[in-house]
Amino acid sequence: MSEDLKIMEDEPLVRDRYIPEKFQFLGKRGISRMDGVEKAGGTAQYTRDVNLPGMLFCKILASPYANALVKSVDTTKAEAVPGVRAVLRFDDPELEGKVLLGDNTKFNAGHQASDGQAFYKGKEELAVTQEQWTQGGGRVLDGFAWWEGAPSGVAIAAESLQAAEEAIRLVEVDWEERPVVMNPIEALKPGAPPAIPELNDKSNLLRKVRIEHGDVEKGFQEADKVIQFDIRRRPYTAADAEPMSNVILWRGDNMEIWAHQQQPYDGKCLLSAVTGIPLHKIKLHIPYQGCHFGHGGNPFMHHTHGFHVISAILSKRTGRPVKTLYNRRENFYGLSQDADSNTHFKVGCKDDGTITAVKIDQIVAKMGQYGIDHFEDNTRIPNLLLNYVEAQTNFAPAWWFRCEQNHNSFCFSAVFAHVAEAVGLDPTEVALKNDGAEGKDMEYLSKFKIDHGFPDRDSLAECIEKGKSAIDWDNKWHEPGKKLLPNGKLHGIGFTWDHEWDDNRGSASAGLIMHCDGTVDILAQKPDVGVGPMTTNCEVVAEEMGLKLEDVNWRFFEETGFQMMTPDGSCNLCTDAYVSLKMARKARKTLLEYATTSIKLIDIEYPPAFPDHKPEELDVKDSMVFVKADPENTVHVSEVVKRATLNQNGTRAPLFEWAYHRQGRYGCEEGRHRLCRQGYFAEVEVDPDTGQVDIKKIVNVNDVGKALSPETCEGQQYGGAYMGAGRVMGEEVIYDPKTGVKLNANLVDYKVATFRDIEETENILVETGMGYGPYGLVGIGEDCATVVPFVVANAIHNAIGEWVDDHPANPSKVIQAIQKAKEKGVY
Amino acid sequence: MVRFKHFDASTIEEAVALLSKFEGRAKVIAGGTDVIGLYKDNILQKPYEALINIKNIPGLEEMKEEDGVLKLGALVRLEDIGHNAMIKEKYTALALAARYTASPHIREMGTIGGNVCQNSRCWYYRCPNNRFPCARKGGDECFADDGDNRYHSIFGDVKDCLAVNPSDTLPALIVLGAKVVTSKRTLDVADMFPEKDATKMNILDDDEIVVEFQIPEPVAGMKSSWKKFAIRKSIDFPIVNCASVVVSSGDAVEDVRICLNAVYYKPYVPTRAADYLKGKTLDEEAAETTGEAAVWGAKPLAMNEYKIHIAKGLVKQTLLDCK
Amino acid sequence: MANVEEQGGAKLVTLQINGDEHHLVVEPQETLREILVDRIGLTGTKEMCDRGACGSCTVIMDGRPVLSCIILAIECGGHPIETIEQLNSQEHPLIQAYADNHAMQCGYCTPGFVVTAKALLDRNPDPSEEDITTALEGNICRCGTYPAHIWAVQDAANKLKG
Repeated sequence: MSEDLKIMEDEPLVRDRYIPEKFQFLGKRGISRMDGVEKAGGTAQYTRDVNLPGMLFCKILASPYANALVKSVDTTKAEAVPGVRAVLRFDDPELEGKVLLGDNTKFNAGHQASDGQAFYKGKEELAVTQEQWTQGGGRVLDGFAWWEGAPSGVAIAAESLQAAEEAIRLVEVDWEERPVVMNPIEALKPGAPPAIPELNDKSNLLRKVRIEHGDVEKGFQEADKVIQFDIRRRPYTAADAEPMSNVILWRGDNMEIWAHQQQPYDGKCLLSAVTGIPLHKIKLHIPYQGCHFGHGGNPFMHHTHGFHVISAILSKRTGRPVKTLYNRRENFYGLSQDADSNTHFKVGCKDDGTITAVKIDQIVAKMGQYGIDHFEDNTRIPNLLLNYVEAQTNFAPAWWFRCEQNHNSFCFSAVFAHVAEAVGLDPTEVALKNDGAEGKDMEYLSKFKIDHGFPDRDSLAECIEKGKSAIDWDNKWHEPGKKLLPNGKLHGIGFTWDHEWDDNRGSASAGLIMHCDGTVDILAQKPDVGVGPMTTNCEVVAEEMGLKLEDVNWRFFEETGFQMMTPDGSCNLCTDAYVSLKMARKARKTLLEYATTSIKLIDIEYPPAFPDHKPEELDVKDSMVFVKADPENTVHVSEVVKRATLNQNGTRAPLFEWAYHRQGRYGCEEGRHRLCRQGYFAEVEVDPDTGQVDIKKIVNVNDVGKALSPETCEGQQYGGAYMGAGRVMGEEVIYDPKTGVKLNANLVDYKVATFRDIEETENILVETGMGYGPYGLVGIGEDCATVVPFVVANAIHNAIGEWVDDHPANPSKVIQAIQKAKEKGVY
Repeated sequence: MVRFKHFDASTIEEAVALLSKFEGRAKVIAGGTDVIGLYKDNILQKPYEALINIKNIPGLEEMKEEDGVLKLGALVRLEDIGHNAMIKEKYTALALAARYTASPHIREMGTIGGNVCQNSRCWYYRCPNNRFPCARKGGDECFADDGDNRYHSIFGDVKDCLAVNPSDTLPALIVLGAKVVTSKRTLDVADMFPEKDATKMNILDDDEIVVEFQIPEPVAGMKSSWKKFAIRKSIDFPIVNCASVVVSSGDAVEDVRICLNAVYYKPYVPTRAADYLKGKTLDEEAAETTGEAAVWGAKPLAMNEYKIHIAKGLVKQTLLDCK
Repeated sequence: MANVEEQGGAKLVTLQINGDEHHLVVEPQETLREILVDRIGLTGTKEMCDRGACGSCTVIMDGRPVLSCIILAIECGGHPIETIEQLNSQEHPLIQAYADNHAMQCGYCTPGFVVTAKALLDRNPDPSEEDITTALEGNICRCGTYPAHIWAVQDAANKLKG
């Protein structure tokens, strides 16, 4: 009869009702990262480091053409390379019928197109197959290529990487080149050649979506000003630190996989479906992950899953472990994002900055994101219309990474910035005027907050106030193009905002076991992509159980039957922390029951640690159980569990608990309004002679609800700022316009930001407690990289007085904007 | 990577003999930061058969001042040049160029000889597995011509090739009046480049190696500067760079030397622009006019007109740095 | 196949790594990183770009921080080499300082930073913020941890100074 457990229900629509008043670990600074010594000392193991006895190395032929058919393949010379052990051809029987999608995804492990992903709230006018939705990326190995670098023709396994590479170079393929389609607008014109004839030889139309709220035409009529502008965004990519690889060992009817995967369990399901090996005979190993920002195993494309099938088949053939690995160039082949989006905006607003209508027309190559979502999520704007069209092209398949809200944030920022310019108002004021949710205003949101148990705080106002102070906005903000510094450069300052995410979806489960020395293991598998889950979740368990932090551990590399979430819309902490919290509270309850309950064997009775007390009279702190009324009366937790979990001699069941939590199904929950906000400020200097842009300062202000680990949150802030800086300044996957060959698939020519590319970041955490997660948290991670590109773009506009309307804002575009401003006499 | 033979040379003569034996099918390896890329990416239709390692040859790593001449052995590392107090003071353009080349690691490995002799970075030329067999490799077309030429030449082609010379140190050496001493001859660095040949970065013979650079003592009243434009503030090759030397006497400019690089297949010396400035007062307007003159005759491609603006701007700014 | 008999082919080389001697037959095209990782099993030296553009493969050779992915192992005989494993086994203060200051996220680039920072501290035991930024400006971190490295390196420098 211990205290009633206080735990939030699944899918909370209200604030966490059971937040402790004081914390020992959560929210505290100065806690060392538990994975830190391993990572800094070079002993952390990644998939790339895995080396098994007898392992073979596999390389896959990458098509040199962006659109081509394999007419014939001759592997005679390749097979003669000493050390070659197996050659898998696209037309080999093991590959017959092997595609990653459609009937094969029998576990609902994938995204089902057109059947109601919650955040696709629109009415889709053109249904697509799942294969079309992934733009043809869901293959294993084919006799055709739909993008340069597509896996085609042959895969070869050899004793060494050197031999495999030499062999692949000697494969002779007779290719039939087909016309290449590299522009989405051109792709949709009548007479355009088919980009992927095998999927659709009549049309390159991939998908059409229309989302409408209210009446935009009415909104335009009500407006004092109607503005129109266009923005083009070029493809960019994740450029993860660790190029992808896998190791698969298939012996008999058991399989083991080591994989660099973001959603590895889904990957296991997929591999099971394709190979026929049931789930219980596949063992998944997930080493540390050298980055994943959203695409590594999400969804089911060749680049991230198809090569598992190849390794598996070659392992089965040879009886040896097979490692397939991509070099850096190959890592660029499979993935980009928002591959060339062309967006036209029409916006109506009043002179006081209130926005009356937003219309977005978009044509995107491959797959993008809509652009209208954040107007739905966090504004009171009643009239919205999106017309969204996807065109098939010979770009590499696109998927989202840090994050799928990129285009939404981008469109959001663009509209607000252009409106502020049009009405001549401070953009922070324009933001506050339009804050709300689902077309409703802040008064409505206030009532919602109170009704659902949240503090009634104006998150955006708080973020703006702190950010303005940090960047000295009131003294520094000026009209665009009007501030030339003594050093000869143009000064620019910019602002943007958005809602904070994501406390809205996902599910996870984990177990917790206490060993007979009183230490605790979290039992769950999870890919660690770097956001500090090990430390944070151990902190939650230690906090909730009253243990010392060093008495809790989480090694998440191996299967335990439980799976915790990876960053997926940055919603993992919400869900995972609820799991940790739930099982820890249950475990504490059980611990105190054990502390007061005798162990009865047949003819022996072991008294408990506290025979004269009831569980509710006890508490735990620093791994010591003590009597609340008499704190000197204390024993170490091991005294309570010392007879459990012993080999053969355990006298009671181990202290084991587990928990499941569902924060929401995939997508946004209806009626769960976004309450927390984020604000960004950026300061730049632009050299009018050369167009050089110096990012002097970025101020990230994020209302995370509650920061469980402040350093981890800040790491996401400045880390995301650097990624955002790279994106705005020059990250672009550059394709040769004629052949569709990637020209910059390396880390010299693809511009990942260096240390020097931002002079200063200031990272401010706001904690309003208005998140739907445990302790009132929202989460952080994806947002900064997603929002920073446009806050810097706003600052560049403020410096020059002219918009860069084609992103990234590389030197050519900046100079064009300067020339335009000069011609207009701005400065 | 693609295989090759490897030989260690212990003297200059041995290096030359080995290069001669291979008749153009061997290359020197110094720091290795450039030449290894040829093999990793399998750029050439026929890879060089052998690499001749010159790092064991004594005397090539020396840095000394002799008879008023700064002598830099071919193997002197860029990092050592960039942080040398005397070079920063007297040969500022070269110190800046060396300091801002690439990354600290590359500068610890990379040599002045290698930086001067380095190969083109054109992304068509460098596309792995010889995907684009271009004019620079003996083919007959330039894929940048109607392709993505944002980084390419603004002064036209050389024998159908639009690729640029990517060295950061070359323009500094040229304005400082440097000579290069090879195993065969001594010549001005400015004269190291082919006239009408796209297949070679410089005129050195296949069996000729760089031994040292000799830079004359700066004259009284001389200042030099160097600037680079790139997207990232570290690691990147130049999109445009520029070095300037100004010799002033009182207010008037006595002598000017300007050199742009990454704008043409070889370093570009706008002599008439420099001549314009002689005798004038070096102020903002004069520097700006010189910059405009420096890019007179530029032939922008579809995607690189912006480089002309940058070149103008860097000429102006490096001149003003020399006030 | 290793062409051991051919002139200009594979050679027996003695590599000095972390104070140990390794006698290996090395082919001309094998990089130092490949030997360290694949042959000797020192996996801390990472492959991110494999083209000398990211710093993840940094080792210290002859006291200089250099890029093992573009160094030929056949040229390394007689040049003492130090890898992250040496720092780890000696419990160099940088490692704990990095963990304490959260100067990593995914951790893949971190050994490269730590080795580069060690080379800095060996030459300059009291580096300023600018010194540290200059030393690390060639290391790429995709997670964007850069600011934390200043705190970590200064923290380690203070510990080394006692």
